[in-house]
Amino acid sequence: MAGLCGKLRMYLEFSRISFQRAAAYRFEAWMRLFSNVVFLFMWGFIWYGLYMDRDSVSGVTFQSVFSYVLISQMLQGIHSAGTPLWEIQEKVRSGDIVTEIIRPYDYPTRLLFADLGSIAFYFLTAIFPLYSVIFLIFRPLIPTSPEQWFLFFLSVVLGYLIRYFIELTFGLFTFWLIETGGVEDIFYFAISLFSGATIPLWFFPGWLNTLARYLPFQGIYFVPNAIFVGELGGTELFSALTVQLFWVAVSFLILRFVWYKAGKKIVGQGG
Amino acid sequence: MARSIYNALRIYWYMVEASIRAQMQYSYAFIMNILGWMMHYTGMAITMWVLLYSFQALNGWVYWELIFLFALSVLSWSICTIFFFHFRKLDVHIVQGTFDRFLVRPISPFFHFMALKFDVGALGQLFFSIGAFILAYIKLSLHWSWAEWLVFLGAVIGGTLIQGGMLVLISTIAFYTTRSERVFWVLIFPFRNLINYPLTIFPKAMQMFITFVLPFAFVNYLPALILLDKADPVFPGFWGSLSIFVGILFFWFSYRVWQKGVDRYNSTGS
Repeated sequence: MAGLCGKLRMYLEFSRISFQRAAAYRFEAWMRLFSNVVFLFMWGFIWYGLYMDRDSVSGVTFQSVFSYVLISQMLQGIHSAGTPLWEIQEKVRSGDIVTEIIRPYDYPTRLLFADLGSIAFYFLTAIFPLYSVIFLIFRPLIPTSPEQWFLFFLSVVLGYLIRYFIELTFGLFTFWLIETGGVEDIFYFAISLFSGATIPLWFFPGWLNTLARYLPFQGIYFVPNAIFVGELGGTELFSALTVQLFWVAVSFLILRFVWYKAGKKIVGQGG
Repeated sequence: MARSIYNALRIYWYMVEASIRAQMQYSYAFIMNILGWMMHYTGMAITMWVLLYSFQALNGWVYWELIFLFALSVLSWSICTIFFFHFRKLDVHIVQGTFDRFLVRPISPFFHFMALKFDVGALGQLFFSIGAFILAYIKLSLHWSWAEWLVFLGAVIGGTLIQGGMLVLISTIAFYTTRSERVFWVLIFPFRNLINYPLTIFPKAMQMFITFVLPFAFVNYLPALILLDKADPVFPGFWGSLSIFVGILFFWFSYRVWQKGVDRYNSTGS
């Protein structure tokens, strides 16, 4: 137990350092925020245009979709503060990853905690103030009960872990494939469409909706977003959370397996 | 004059040849790059299809009309990236001091920098946009007269110059702040996404900004009004035929600003 506490303290130290380091990259943060707002603007008006003189489509009102877009864009802003995929790939390509492997910590865990630190900084200084103002101006639908808030937060955390495990696994594929150009674009497309980041799954054609429900990506944005706007409740909500949990476990196991295999793949030059 | 242009073109072609040969050395990466771009844009087209599935139309624009709008912007973008895409990376050359070598040679630094890379990876975007354009042309059963083909040609050339001008303009920021690539991704990338949708869905202020400040509207929306026989409540129809002139003007302006930047530039070492 004491060992576990010591370990946790060490990993939290990584969070603290990257929290402070994030403060040095203010320019990057402002740029990211600007681009986030432009996309929010764009999707807001696209949905407004689509709904033009219609109250509800597929049983969903504009108010719901608009709130969905707001919270989705906010969550995407949070996710964007993590280590980008290309940085992991570059680390593998250049061989710098070795310096991580020889140290007495677990790299996937260290990276997760480091990302949490930079996300915390970005959230407190940029995302939270900005979206507070936006929420106050536009008054979207928000959770109405403490339970709903709690389930939403739980779902966000599960969604974050799914995205993190999948993306890191994909980044580690660089150990075997030096050039991932075409595959990478399919991967990004799959994440952006099936996660429901921009289009809620409600509007998908039936067969595509079914397909999306069987993929892990919907757990990243769609489930937390739908909980937030109150379109997911009762038993449906609990089965959605169970599915999220299932994918967290599966993607974690796959990540551990790929990480284990990658460790075997490393060949020391000149040793 | 004619002789110096001839010489310049000869040098340009010589350097471009070297650049293409360099990129072809890694044939696997080369093909993956082309495939990657095609996947990227095909993914966007599929996303649009899903978006319109339950709604049928966006402000009176049906799916294939949106694809037409999209293909038109990607077409001129792909041509402009062949020549200018590496301008976004000017900051790297300035920070590392490698830009100085462009200043000490007996040809124009702009020209020399432009010849640095001839981005064959852009072929992926070109193939996609031509394919999407042909499909949209058939699906919408368009039959253009020679005048409409002329508008189309003007839009492609004008769009290339406008977007190329923006890449040049963004790179100029590097002379003052030693930053350009991030600015490109943050400024141009979202706006290029914005113009894939009909301008009328956005508020008036944004429409004006995209027409008169960053003239993206001339890249695809305004010409598409003529080519798809649509009307806009604000902009007169004939504006779409002005793309080529706006393009020349904007590119010339960007080029002048870039030259000013070079004049002001002091190497990072000093």
